[in-house]
Amino acid sequence: MAKVAITVNGAEPVNVFPPFILGSSAVASGDDLIIFFCPGGAPAMVKGVIEKMEGKGLPNLLELYEGVRNLGGKIYVCELALDAKDLKKEDFRDGIEIIGATTFINEIKDATITFSF
Amino acid sequence: MATKTLDTLGLKCPQPILKVATLVPQMNPGDILEVLADCESFPKDIKAWAEKTGKTLLFCNTDADGKHTAQIQF
Repeated sequence: MAKVAITVNGAEPVNVFPPFILGSSAVASGDDLIIFFCPGGAPAMVKGVIEKMEGKGLPNLLELYEGVRNLGGKIYVCELALDAKDLKKEDFRDGIEIIGATTFINEIKDATITFSF
Repeated sequence: MATKTLDTLGLKCPQPILKVATLVPQMNPGDILEVLADCESFPKDIKAWAEKTGKTLLFCNTDADGKHTAQIQF
Protein backbone atom coordinates (compact mmCIF):
# COMPACT_ATOMS: atom_id res chain seq x y z
CA MET A 1 0.00 0.00 0.00
CA ALA A 2 1.04 3.57 -0.58
CA LYS A 3 1.80 6.32 1.92
CA VAL A 4 0.20 9.57 0.81
CA ALA A 5 1.30 12.99 2.08
CA ILE A 6 -0.70 16.10 1.25
CA THR A 7 0.07 19.71 2.16
CA VAL A 8 -2.61 22.41 2.10
CA ASN A 9 -1.72 26.11 2.07
CA GLY A 10 -5.05 27.75 1.32
CA ALA A 11 -8.36 27.76 3.20
CA GLU A 12 -10.72 28.23 0.25
CA PRO A 13 -12.88 25.36 -1.06
CA VAL A 14 -10.55 25.07 -4.07
CA ASN A 15 -7.75 24.17 -1.63
CA VAL A 16 -9.75 22.11 0.85
CA PHE A 17 -11.88 19.79 -1.30
CA PRO A 18 -9.01 18.11 -3.21
CA PRO A 19 -7.07 16.86 -0.16
CA PHE A 20 -10.20 15.29 1.30
CA ILE A 21 -11.42 13.82 -2.01
CA LEU A 22 -8.03 12.28 -2.78
CA GLY A 23 -7.26 11.54 0.86
CA SER A 24 -10.52 9.73 1.52
CA SER A 25 -10.00 7.66 -1.63
CA ALA A 26 -6.54 6.74 -0.35
CA VAL A 27 -7.60 5.64 3.14
CA ALA A 28 -10.63 3.82 1.68
CA SER A 29 -8.19 1.71 -0.34
CA GLY A 30 -5.94 0.99 2.62
CA ASP A 31 -3.23 3.61 2.09
CA ASP A 32 -1.62 5.57 4.90
CA LEU A 33 -2.51 9.26 4.75
CA ILE A 34 -1.10 12.40 6.31
CA ILE A 35 -2.61 15.81 5.57
CA PHE A 36 -0.60 18.80 6.78
CA PHE A 37 -2.20 22.22 6.92
CA CYS A 38 0.32 25.03 6.54
CA PRO A 39 -0.64 28.41 8.08
CA GLY A 40 -2.45 29.47 4.90
CA GLY A 41 -4.69 26.41 5.05
CA ALA A 42 -5.06 26.15 8.82
CA PRO A 43 -8.21 28.32 9.14
CA ALA A 44 -10.12 25.58 7.27
CA MET A 45 -9.55 23.25 10.22
CA VAL A 46 -11.13 25.63 12.73
CA LYS A 47 -14.31 24.16 14.23
CA GLY A 48 -17.39 24.70 12.07
CA VAL A 49 -15.62 25.87 8.91
CA ILE A 50 -15.88 22.84 6.62
CA GLU A 51 -19.55 22.47 7.55
CA LYS A 52 -20.14 25.68 5.59
CA MET A 53 -18.09 24.70 2.54
CA GLU A 54 -19.93 23.34 -0.45
CA GLY A 55 -19.46 23.30 -4.16
CA LYS A 56 -21.73 22.58 -7.08
CA GLY A 57 -21.53 18.91 -7.97
CA LEU A 58 -19.04 18.18 -5.19
CA PRO A 59 -19.40 15.57 -2.43
CA ASN A 60 -20.22 16.46 1.16
CA LEU A 61 -16.95 17.72 2.65
CA LEU A 62 -17.81 16.88 6.26
CA GLU A 63 -18.50 13.25 5.32
CA LEU A 64 -15.16 13.04 3.53
CA TYR A 65 -13.42 14.56 6.55
CA GLU A 66 -15.07 12.08 8.90
CA GLY A 67 -14.25 9.23 6.53
CA VAL A 68 -10.59 10.22 6.57
CA ARG A 69 -10.62 10.33 10.38
CA ASN A 70 -12.52 7.07 10.82
CA LEU A 71 -10.24 5.19 8.44
CA GLY A 72 -7.07 6.29 10.21
CA GLY A 73 -5.93 9.31 8.20
CA LYS A 74 -3.83 11.80 10.18
CA ILE A 75 -4.60 15.49 9.98
CA TYR A 76 -2.01 17.96 11.24
CA VAL A 77 -1.87 21.74 11.50
CA CYS A 78 1.50 23.50 11.44
CA GLU A 79 2.29 25.10 14.79
CA LEU A 80 3.29 28.31 13.01
CA ALA A 81 -0.41 28.81 12.20
CA LEU A 82 -1.13 29.63 15.85
CA ASP A 83 0.67 32.97 15.85
CA ALA A 84 0.39 33.57 12.12
CA LYS A 85 -3.40 33.31 12.15
CA ASP A 86 -4.10 34.29 15.79
CA LEU A 87 -5.55 30.87 16.52
CA LYS A 88 -5.46 28.73 19.66
CA LYS A 89 -5.16 24.96 19.84
CA GLU A 90 -8.71 24.70 21.12
CA ASP A 91 -10.04 26.57 18.08
CA PHE A 92 -9.31 23.55 15.89
CA ARG A 93 -11.55 20.55 15.29
CA ASP A 94 -11.26 17.60 17.66
CA GLY A 95 -8.57 15.17 16.57
CA ILE A 96 -6.43 17.77 14.83
CA GLU A 97 -2.86 17.64 16.06
CA ILE A 98 -0.54 20.66 16.06
CA ILE A 99 2.95 19.68 14.98
CA GLY A 100 6.14 21.28 13.71
CA ALA A 101 7.67 21.01 10.27
CA THR A 102 10.47 18.71 11.44
CA THR A 103 7.99 16.17 12.79
CA PHE A 104 6.00 16.28 9.55
CA ILE A 105 9.08 15.84 7.40
CA ASN A 106 10.15 12.90 9.52
CA GLU A 107 6.73 11.24 9.29
CA ILE A 108 6.60 11.51 5.50
CA LYS A 109 10.16 10.43 4.80
CA ASP A 110 8.84 7.21 3.24
CA ALA A 111 5.79 8.74 1.51
CA THR A 112 5.28 7.37 -1.98
CA ILE A 113 2.67 9.86 -3.20
CA THR A 114 2.62 13.59 -2.44
CA PHE A 115 0.30 16.46 -3.35
CA SER A 116 0.14 20.16 -2.52
CA PHE A 117 -2.97 22.29 -2.65
CA MET B 1 -22.39 -16.07 4.18
CA ALA B 2 -24.47 -12.92 4.33
CA THR B 3 -25.50 -10.48 1.64
CA LYS B 4 -25.71 -6.81 2.48
CA THR B 5 -26.96 -3.96 0.30
CA LEU B 6 -25.49 -0.46 0.27
CA ASP B 7 -27.44 2.31 -1.46
CA THR B 8 -25.19 5.20 -2.51
CA LEU B 9 -27.53 6.65 -5.13
CA GLY B 10 -27.08 10.41 -5.42
CA LEU B 11 -23.66 10.44 -3.75
CA LYS B 12 -20.66 11.86 -5.59
CA CYS B 13 -17.22 10.32 -5.97
CA PRO B 14 -15.51 9.26 -3.73
CA GLN B 15 -18.33 8.90 -1.19
CA PRO B 16 -19.63 5.54 -2.53
CA ILE B 17 -16.18 3.98 -2.18
CA LEU B 18 -15.74 5.58 1.24
CA LYS B 19 -19.03 4.04 2.37
CA VAL B 20 -17.92 0.64 1.04
CA ALA B 21 -14.64 0.98 2.95
CA THR B 22 -16.39 1.85 6.22
CA LEU B 23 -18.46 -1.36 5.94
CA VAL B 24 -15.38 -3.59 5.62
CA PRO B 25 -15.12 -4.34 9.37
CA GLN B 26 -18.71 -5.65 9.33
CA MET B 27 -18.06 -8.11 6.50
CA ASN B 28 -16.83 -11.67 6.96
CA PRO B 29 -14.91 -13.71 4.39
CA GLY B 30 -17.35 -14.93 1.75
CA ASP B 31 -19.98 -12.27 2.49
CA ILE B 32 -21.34 -10.36 -0.48
CA LEU B 33 -21.89 -6.60 -0.57
CA GLU B 34 -24.25 -5.27 -3.23
CA VAL B 35 -23.69 -1.60 -3.98
CA LEU B 36 -26.08 0.70 -5.85
CA ALA B 37 -24.50 3.84 -7.28
CA ASP B 38 -25.10 6.43 -9.95
CA CYS B 39 -21.91 8.45 -9.90
CA GLU B 40 -20.15 8.38 -13.26
CA SER B 41 -16.81 7.01 -12.12
CA PHE B 42 -18.20 4.21 -9.94
CA PRO B 43 -17.59 1.20 -12.26
CA LYS B 44 -13.89 2.01 -12.66
CA ASP B 45 -13.50 3.08 -9.03
CA ILE B 46 -15.04 -0.06 -7.53
CA LYS B 47 -12.89 -2.22 -9.84
CA ALA B 48 -9.76 -0.35 -8.73
CA TRP B 49 -10.79 -0.58 -5.07
CA ALA B 50 -11.42 -4.33 -5.28
CA GLU B 51 -8.09 -4.95 -7.02
CA LYS B 52 -6.17 -2.88 -4.51
CA THR B 53 -7.82 -4.31 -1.40
CA GLY B 54 -7.87 -7.92 -2.61
CA LYS B 55 -11.66 -8.29 -2.78
CA THR B 56 -13.52 -10.03 -5.60
CA LEU B 57 -15.71 -7.87 -7.83
CA LEU B 58 -18.32 -10.37 -9.00
CA PHE B 59 -19.89 -7.92 -11.44
CA CYS B 60 -20.75 -4.28 -12.02
CA ASN B 61 -23.69 -3.70 -14.34
CA THR B 62 -25.09 -0.40 -15.58
CA ASP B 63 -28.74 -0.04 -16.56
CA ALA B 64 -30.20 2.28 -19.19
CA ASP B 65 -30.66 5.08 -16.62
CA GLY B 66 -26.98 5.04 -15.67
CA LYS B 67 -27.57 3.26 -12.38
CA HIS B 68 -24.79 0.87 -11.44
CA THR B 69 -25.20 -2.32 -9.45
CA ALA B 70 -22.06 -4.04 -8.23
CA GLN B 71 -21.46 -7.10 -6.09
CA ILE B 72 -18.26 -7.56 -4.15
CA GLN B 73 -17.34 -10.76 -2.38
CA PHE B 74 -15.24 -10.40 0.75
